[in-house]
Amino acid sequence: MQSVNQYFLNIYIAIKSVLIGMSITFRHLFTKSVTVQYPRERLPIPGTSRNLLLNKIEDCIGCDQCVRVCPVNCITMDTIKVFPEDDLGLASDGSKKRLWLPRFDIDMAKCCYCGLCTYPCPTECLIMTDEYEYATYERNDLVFKFTDLDPIQIAELKEKDHIRSMEKEKKKLETAKQAAAKPGKNGGKSGEGT
Amino acid sequence: MIQAEYYNIFVKIIDQLAVLDFLPPVWKFILASVIAALVFFHVIAIFALVAIWVERKVAGHIQDRLGPMETGWHGVLQTLADAIKLLIKEDIIAGGIDRRLFVLAPVIVFMTALAVFVVFPVGENFIVSDLNIGILYIVAISTLVVPGIIMAGWSSNNKWSLFGAMRSAAQIVSYEVPVGLAIVCAVMAAGSLSMQTIVESQAGGFWNWFIFSKFPFGFIAFFIYFVASLAEINRTPFDLPEAESEIVAGYMTEYSGMRWSFFFLAEYGNMLAVGAIATTLFLGGWQTPISLLSFIPGPVWFTAKTMFLVFVHIWLRWTLPRLRVDQLMYMCWKVLTPFAFVSIFGIGLWMTF
Amino acid sequence: MIGKDIIFIIFAVITVGSAALVVFSKKIIYAAFSLMLSLFGVAALFVFLNADFLAAVQVIVYVGGILVLILFGVLLTVKISSDNVISHLSQRIWGSIAAVGMFVLIFIAITRTNWTILDKSEDVVYYPQSEAIGIQLLTNYILPFEVASILLLAALIGAMFLVRPENK
Repeated sequence: MQSVNQYFLNIYIAIKSVLIGMSITFRHLFTKSVTVQYPRERLPIPGTSRNLLLNKIEDCIGCDQCVRVCPVNCITMDTIKVFPEDDLGLASDGSKKRLWLPRFDIDMAKCCYCGLCTYPCPTECLIMTDEYEYATYERNDLVFKFTDLDPIQIAELKEKDHIRSMEKEKKKLETAKQAAAKPGKNGGKSGEGT
Repeated sequence: MIQAEYYNIFVKIIDQLAVLDFLPPVWKFILASVIAALVFFHVIAIFALVAIWVERKVAGHIQDRLGPMETGWHGVLQTLADAIKLLIKEDIIAGGIDRRLFVLAPVIVFMTALAVFVVFPVGENFIVSDLNIGILYIVAISTLVVPGIIMAGWSSNNKWSLFGAMRSAAQIVSYEVPVGLAIVCAVMAAGSLSMQTIVESQAGGFWNWFIFSKFPFGFIAFFIYFVASLAEINRTPFDLPEAESEIVAGYMTEYSGMRWSFFFLAEYGNMLAVGAIATTLFLGGWQTPISLLSFIPGPVWFTAKTMFLVFVHIWLRWTLPRLRVDQLMYMCWKVLTPFAFVSIFGIGLWMTF
Repeated sequence: MIGKDIIFIIFAVITVGSAALVVFSKKIIYAAFSLMLSLFGVAALFVFLNADFLAAVQVIVYVGGILVLILFGVLLTVKISSDNVISHLSQRIWGSIAAVGMFVLIFIAITRTNWTILDKSEDVVYYPQSEAIGIQLLTNYILPFEVASILLLAALIGAMFLVRPENK
């Protein structure tokens, strides 16, 4: 008898739960949907969110700290020391810019969005922006180049830098030669020393 | 109750066209049949286009989403776009399958969905063929779907397909019993197998529909028919044959493109058919619920009732989770079948006294 | 009436041709599916004989029941990977003797039956048969009907008994 009761109870519970479920879904049929029609509507992104990196290159002093801290090595930086005749002006925090930056590339395909590079930046020129839609067709297009120098300028600078380094080398050689020209004194001294 | 001739609206229309007088009657009949088949093919296709959109919208709103929104006004053209995509898709026939049966299976499955439409009494004078054995014809045709599904599952040479086909066949064969018994209830109340006669015997207001007039037996029979027919057409919560989370897509796993969409068309055609059968048997077919509303023509009532049942199908699909196989069989043999016998017995008593 | 004859011939060819395929096909699954076509063709021939109820029952019982049972047997007994479900040719002599005997029996039955040939010139009015069959089954043939139902019930109970677990 008990199993018969259980049988009818089961049927009753099944029908009741189906009806309850149907009433719930029917109510939800008319509740406002939570969908955000993405390309047309957007949710505001939080202020601390980490997205596309941006380097305000005119403020960058080329201190290399971001390159060193990056855990995935996605920042590549080339620097050229300024020549005595150049004046690059001051960065926003008042420090003097002493380096040309012919190359400041961030490979966003490698970037892991840890944000570590933005903290050590002394002039706060490397920041995370709000931009998060920068899908590209080519992987190379994800390498963002921030230098403000055009290729001709870069070539000139490199040439100039090359000449400078050659001169330096020459000077070094000359000093070495001069040092070698007075071997006796030098050698005697060292000989005395030992 | 006995009808001496088969009434066919398409034959009548063609008979009235003087242009076709040179044709012998048999050819006229064949022409009428071809036209009827084409008409109902398009009915299924257009219904599927609309129903898939409605289903996706209902699914979306039930889950507090929006559903398709981009193609056309609120995404109405989404299904059309999908259909075009399916049409231009590559027709993939994998290696190692039984090509002949593979090609034949969707045809058989769709054919059964289409052939059922012959006997639906859409309106007072609108029925393709008022067969005297109408409802029996429907039962006979819908059994043909089982070999079609087994054919699809076997020829795919794929374990999921075979499992899906086995489940589907077992499920359909089992649920044919409560479906048949529920149909018998309506047939007993009407005293005829002809669809048009069944509708006519429910005339005169909604309290004469079999769902209400033989309360509670009619209601039980309607309920059993509705639940069991859901299982017959493999709709959720009885969609074990195509359970995505278990057996990929069941017997449809290896199909793609147009062949797959024929299975899909058959599924939606079956939804329409099952709704139409339930409407005819229990909800008074094209009869108006109150005589006040009799200015609205019969086909509109028939379509409205059928669409309401289709909506309930969709509504249920997005409410209930899938049943387990043993629960499915428990429900069929231990709940629906005994209650169907009870309601047959009750209606028998009702008709006697 | 030539159109009707053509339709009849089409269905007859389908029936006989697929029946031949059932016999001669090596793959059992092909034989099973051709059997479906053959049974369906027989149903169509029943329609030609003005036996609509019988046609529907033919499809329900044979296609929906027997054929599905055969298909289940094939599906459950054969590994899906081995595609060669071949029916072998064996027992030629006994088989041919049985076939010829069967043919002779049926032939005699056909020739001895007193066929009434309908007059083709007048339009034959077809009367539906389901009601007549129902009345006959519940009056004149009530005993065979009940015996058949008892047989089916016995089969049902037997099947239930067979699938029961041993310990219960």
